[in-house]
Order: sequence, then C-alpha cells, then structure tokens
Amino acid sequence: MLSLSPDEWVAVRLSLKIALVATAVALPFGVAVAWLLARKQFWGKTLLDGLLHLPLVLPPVVTGYLLLISFGRRGPIGAFLADHLGIVFSFRWTGAALACGVMGFPLLVRPIRLAIEAIDRKLEDAAATLGADRLWVFLTVTLPLAMPGLIAGLVLCFAKALGEFGATITFVSNIPGETQTISAAIYTFVQIPGGDAAAGRLALVAIAISLAALIAAEWLARRAGTRFHGE
Amino acid sequence: MRDRVGSIACGAIVALAILAARPAAIAQQTTVTAFAAASLKNALDDVDQTFTQNSGMRVVASYAASSAMIKQIENGAPADVFASADLDWMDYGAQHKLIREDTRVNLLGNELVLIAPKDSNVARAEIGPGFDLAGLAGNGRIVTGDVRAVPVGKYAKVALEKLGIWGAVSPKVAMTENVRAALTLVARGEAALGIVYATDAKAEPNVKVIGVFPADSHPPIVYPVALTMTAKPVASQYLTFLRSPAAQALFEKYGFMFLAKTPS
Repeated sequence: MLSLSPDEWVAVRLSLKIALVATAVALPFGVAVAWLLARKQFWGKTLLDGLLHLPLVLPPVVTGYLLLISFGRRGPIGAFLADHLGIVFSFRWTGAALACGVMGFPLLVRPIRLAIEAIDRKLEDAAATLGADRLWVFLTVTLPLAMPGLIAGLVLCFAKALGEFGATITFVSNIPGETQTISAAIYTFVQIPGGDAAAGRLALVAIAISLAALIAAEWLARRAGTRFHGE
Repeated sequence: MRDRVGSIACGAIVALAILAARPAAIAQQTTVTAFAAASLKNALDDVDQTFTQNSGMRVVASYAASSAMIKQIENGAPADVFASADLDWMDYGAQHKLIREDTRVNLLGNELVLIAPKDSNVARAEIGPGFDLAGLAGNGRIVTGDVRAVPVGKYAKVALEKLGIWGAVSPKVAMTENVRAALTLVARGEAALGIVYATDAKAEPNVKVIGVFPADSHPPIVYPVALTMTAKPVASQYLTFLRSPAAQALFEKYGFMFLAKTPS
C-alpha cells in the first residue's frame, strides 16, 4: 500500500528536477536583484520592487496565463526562443520550471535583500580600504554575511517550486511524465474514482520532502550563523 | 446621538427584511443540477435554455470529465442528473448505487476524430490499421484526455491499440483532464494533433478534422443519462425533455447522433 507505482515515482522525480532547476537558475538572478535593491538607488526602483512582488500577489492562474501568452508556442518570446535557440517551453518540463522559478522569485529575493541590508556597510568599506575591489568585497564579505538569508530564500523558493500548481497547470497543463508534478498528480488522482490511495501516498511524499528541506535549511542556517557571527 | 442609533437600527431591520425576502423568492424557482461530460457543453447549454423557457425551471450544469463527475457524485455532490460520455462511468454509478437504474437511457452517440490546428500543414488522411500517426505528429504531441480515466482518452487508446499503433504513438501522447482541454490546446497551436469527438471539432473553428477513426476500432461512443439517487422529483421532467424532439433537433444540430426514442 505504501509503495509508489511507476506513475507516482515519475511525478516525484519530475517535481524534484523542476524545483531544483528552477531554484538553481533563479539563484544568480535573485542575488543580483537583491543586491541591487539593497545597495543601489536608481530611477524606477519602486517599480522594479513592485513588479518583483507581482507573482506573489497575482492569482497564480493569472501568472500562468501571462506566461502562456508570452512564452507559449505562439507568444512573442516563446516563438523567438523556439525558432532561434531551440528552447521550447510549451508542454515541456522547462515550461514548468520557468513557471516555478517565476512564482518563487519574490520569495528568493526578499530574505536575501533583507540580509544584505542588515550588513554593516562599514565592514564592506573597511574591506575596500584594504584594497579589495567591489566584486571581491561582495564575494568575501557581503555574501558570507548574508548566508542565513540566502539559505532562507533558497528554501522558500524550492518549497514554492515544489508545490507550485496554478501557474504550472495553466501554462504547460498536466502531462504525465513531462509536466505532471506531485501537486498536479494529486489533483488528477483525486478526480479519478479509486485514485484516493495514490493521492494519499503522494501527499505523504510531499510532506516528507518538505520536512526534510526545512530541517536541512534550519541546520545549514544555524551553522552559517555560528561561523560568521560567532554565536 | 439617540436619533442616529435609532435610524441605524431601522435601516438594519429594513435591510434584513429585504435579505430575508429574497431567498424565499428564489426558492420558488426550482433548479435542476446536471453533471455532464465536457463534450456536451455547447449542445446542452442550448437544450437547457429551451427547457427553462418551456418549463420555468432553471438548469445549473457543471461540465468536466465523466470520471471526475461521478467521483464528485460519489463524494456527495448534489447533482440531479448525470450525463456520461461512456457506459463505463455510468456502470460505475450503477454499481455504487449512485444513479437510479430505472431512469437510465442511452441518449446520444458520437464519433472519434483526429484534429490539427486550423493552419497546420497536415493533410487529410484515411485512418486504418498501421496508420503512421507517430510520423504525422513529427516532433509535436498528440493530445487527448487522460487514457486512464477520461472517456475520450479511453476510446482513443482502444482505437490506437486496435489499429496496432499504440506502442509507436504512446511516447508522443499528452494527456489532459478532459476533452475540451485537449481541444483548446490544439486550437491554440500548442499541440500538433489531437484526438477528440467529432462534435468538439465541429464546435471549435480553429481546428480542422484530419481523419475519422473507424467505428469498429473502438466501442460505440454512447452517452447514457440517468437521475442520481438524490435527484429531486421534478428532475425527471428534465430527463423527459432531453429525449424530446425539440432536444433532439438541438443535439443533432451540434453533430450528435440521437439514440433515445421519445417515450410514447
């Protein structure tokens, strides 16, 4: 009863793959945007901040629909990418990863930005006076000090990507083996008479993965905190 | 101060009185709740409108895959009428005592077709044993309902197996949760090909029919209807109307084959 069928395993592996890829690709962008918002003043900063938080506030289906009309096979960006770079998002796990990355992006940026803002600028200035260039200061002073925030952002983004449903199903629908993540699989099984057992098993798997991610993040954050703040 | 409180209290009482009167007015108009297969949407909406004009009863129709609908009925959804796209899900309803067998009747028939986006280069083809559907799809996907549960998907899989091409085709199949979702994906050009009902292809201007699956490649596509165990007595009037010549004309207009003989 507790062992997963091949269909269910496919959904689990696909969910993990999509969530990991989405988080990994979002990370450099997330760090860059967080640093920009924390350390720089520029025209349109408030607008950027607003746009960034849009996926958090919009109904997920609306975000999925916007992705569909822009990155779908007939959308402006989607058609360009497909024709010139061979990157296709429709019907593919890449589309699901894009949807998850977009939905998780605000959750990634916020904690990192707050962590960077909390860093004492005098430490960065001190490093600069000792001869470090901006990039070196960032890599050796800012980033390590912001590590607990970075880890928190990563976990939140990963968790959101793992559980993303509305935007994914609207953008790339629910194709077993390609875009059917754990959430979509549970949704499908609940609609099939006799599918409750499978839905229950997948729900348990989702709980287990989420708990493991939270515990790992807690442990990592504590370690990072001790190393850099000497608590 | 006292006058303010007095007038607010009066206003509240009047508002409550109006609100209390409204539900009583609405209750006088009976509502029949129909759970119907997704492919019935356009035709049944028209039929329901005519029924309301004739009888004064409102019909609230919910459309989804037949498997999802019977599951909801099993979980206690307050449906009066169930219209399925295949016999299996109606049989499931009968086995689990969800529908009234004595009211069950086969209402409509349909055909299974292969469709492509309207502007696709794919030409019309004759579908027979060994038909190279996988080749026709090329790098694209063939979208249909979930072959495990959704009626159109089940018919499609049986037909493809009978034609001997399921093995070649199955890696290219993309499954959706109901036939209309598959239809929309083809209409939007997201899928290269789709397997839907003839009536769906007729209802969607942005797709074209490439071929028709031979009738002997799959079980006859039959739409049974029945009252649920929890149906209101007035719902039987609705069921009778579905079998009437007026309803027959509407169903046939949308491309369905009418199977039910009008009760004499």
